[in-house]
Amino acid sequence: MQTLSFGNLKKARSLHRPGVSAQTGFPSAATHYAESTIDLHNELVTNREATFFIRIEGNGFEEFLISHNDVLVVDRSLHPRKNDLILAVIEGEFTVIQVCENHEESFQLWGVITYIIHKTR
Amino acid sequence: MIALVDCNSFYASCEQVFRPDLWGKPVVVLSNNDGCIIAANREAKALTHIPMFEPVFKIKTELKKHAVTSFSSNYTLYGEMSQRVVQILKRFSPLVEVYSIDESFVDFSNMKDLEYLTYGHTVKETIFKETGLPVGVGIAPTKVLAKMANRIAKKFHNQLQSVYVIDSEEKCVKALKWTKIEDVWGIGRKHAKRLWAVGVHTAFDFTKLSPAWVRKHMTVVGLRIWNELRGESCLNIQEIPADKKAIGTAKSFGKPIEDYTLIEEACAYYISEVAEVLRHQKSCANFVQVFLQTNRFNDKDLQYSNSCVVTLPVATDNTFELIAAANKGLKAVFKSGYRYKKVGVNLLGIIPKEYVQGNLFYQPKRNTEQLLKTFDHLNFRYGKSTLFSAQCGTRKKEWELRYQERSNRYTTRWSELLTVKSPEATDRHSK
Repeated sequence: MQTLSFGNLKKARSLHRPGVSAQTGFPSAATHYAESTIDLHNELVTNREATFFIRIEGNGFEEFLISHNDVLVVDRSLHPRKNDLILAVIEGEFTVIQVCENHEESFQLWGVITYIIHKTR
Repeated sequence: MIALVDCNSFYASCEQVFRPDLWGKPVVVLSNNDGCIIAANREAKALTHIPMFEPVFKIKTELKKHAVTSFSSNYTLYGEMSQRVVQILKRFSPLVEVYSIDESFVDFSNMKDLEYLTYGHTVKETIFKETGLPVGVGIAPTKVLAKMANRIAKKFHNQLQSVYVIDSEEKCVKALKWTKIEDVWGIGRKHAKRLWAVGVHTAFDFTKLSPAWVRKHMTVVGLRIWNELRGESCLNIQEIPADKKAIGTAKSFGKPIEDYTLIEEACAYYISEVAEVLRHQKSCANFVQVFLQTNRFNDKDLQYSNSCVVTLPVATDNTFELIAAANKGLKAVFKSGYRYKKVGVNLLGIIPKEYVQGNLFYQPKRNTEQLLKTFDHLNFRYGKSTLFSAQCGTRKKEWELRYQERSNRYTTRWSELLTVKSPEATDRHSK
């Protein structure tokens, strides 16, 4: 699917619009039910300008169900809520933490993790 | 009211977003071929005893001593981050003029009862939160004044938090008196000198000149600036960038080159780059200029430089025809026995595609339109140089620029994403 954009508005241009049969001239039965195919980017990325993809190396974040080579979808525009996983900066280094009420270490928020993309093979 | 939003030390800031270990530390970005510094952040600029404009190899030890981190320029990353900023600006107003990679004018004129100062802060904070890039915002009744307000916001960033609004006569006069005439947007050095001669030292002095004088000595362009400074808007917000009248590129080789065939390949590659820009703006070129030069800074080498313009039979946007023309030009200027430093190409006589005139004695190749469309489409989708003319060759490494310290293209390449090491991995590395 392609999108046409007008500033912030995006209009889907469906490339699989049911056509009119060249042979018979009859329109497809699906004509008025056409919708654009699911595009994962549109589903997983709600704010394009604020979203970054980050790859994780190593198995140190297994407690958060994040494995080696997983890609995190990180949205910087969100405000973290309790139990959110966030990408944080502690002493100049990136790390993943889960938001709770009292953190021992001070940290700076980089972005809120909204999805973990895990490759299975 | 018009806002000028610009990113603080844009290139360096883009690098720092992905490098929290460098937050608050001096960072510089180097020009193509790592020749000299083209951008420095506030911390680097504070090291005033380092001559930042000198070639990098001369100040390398100084930079190292002060723990300045340097990056090769990563225009792919900067371009993408710039687009993010522009898209965010479009949430605040439908009228945005992208003035440069790190500056945009935003038109607020059709927005009623706006609390400009608050709005300016919201713009600044949103951009910083979402992209990590610090910006300054200047808001004023005209573009030239907005530019001035932006300078003030930057200069007094501590007190003003990088946002300044000129919204009263009093503030306007204060700003005009504070701004030196040579710092006014659009006043070049030549005009500044003439103005000093008649006792004009600040923007305020300039506004007191008679319009007749300004028009006589500085043409209508100067008069527009004069009007803008007096609060009368005469420069419009241009949403659509003007098409380029000439498109060119010239980059130094990674090392001096004597081999004609290598230069030919580099030249074909540059033509491919500029032809893509040409097609993007739906234009055709009538002439191709090729120039070639040795390294004039190397006094041991024999020096030679030359250029030539090749006329095309019919204006074209076809990469292959343009390469053929450029080769003709290159052959004419090339002399063997020199160590060449740089080859450059310029497309000239650019006209809109629909105005291309035919040539009775020349039949252009047919059906190349679709080929070129597919060509551009594939290169956009799968990355630059997925498809290329065989003329460009495969020996790019032998002439290509050095990017020794280029950061990853974090936002455009799946294979170059920002990588975060989890604690165990770090342990393993240290063992």
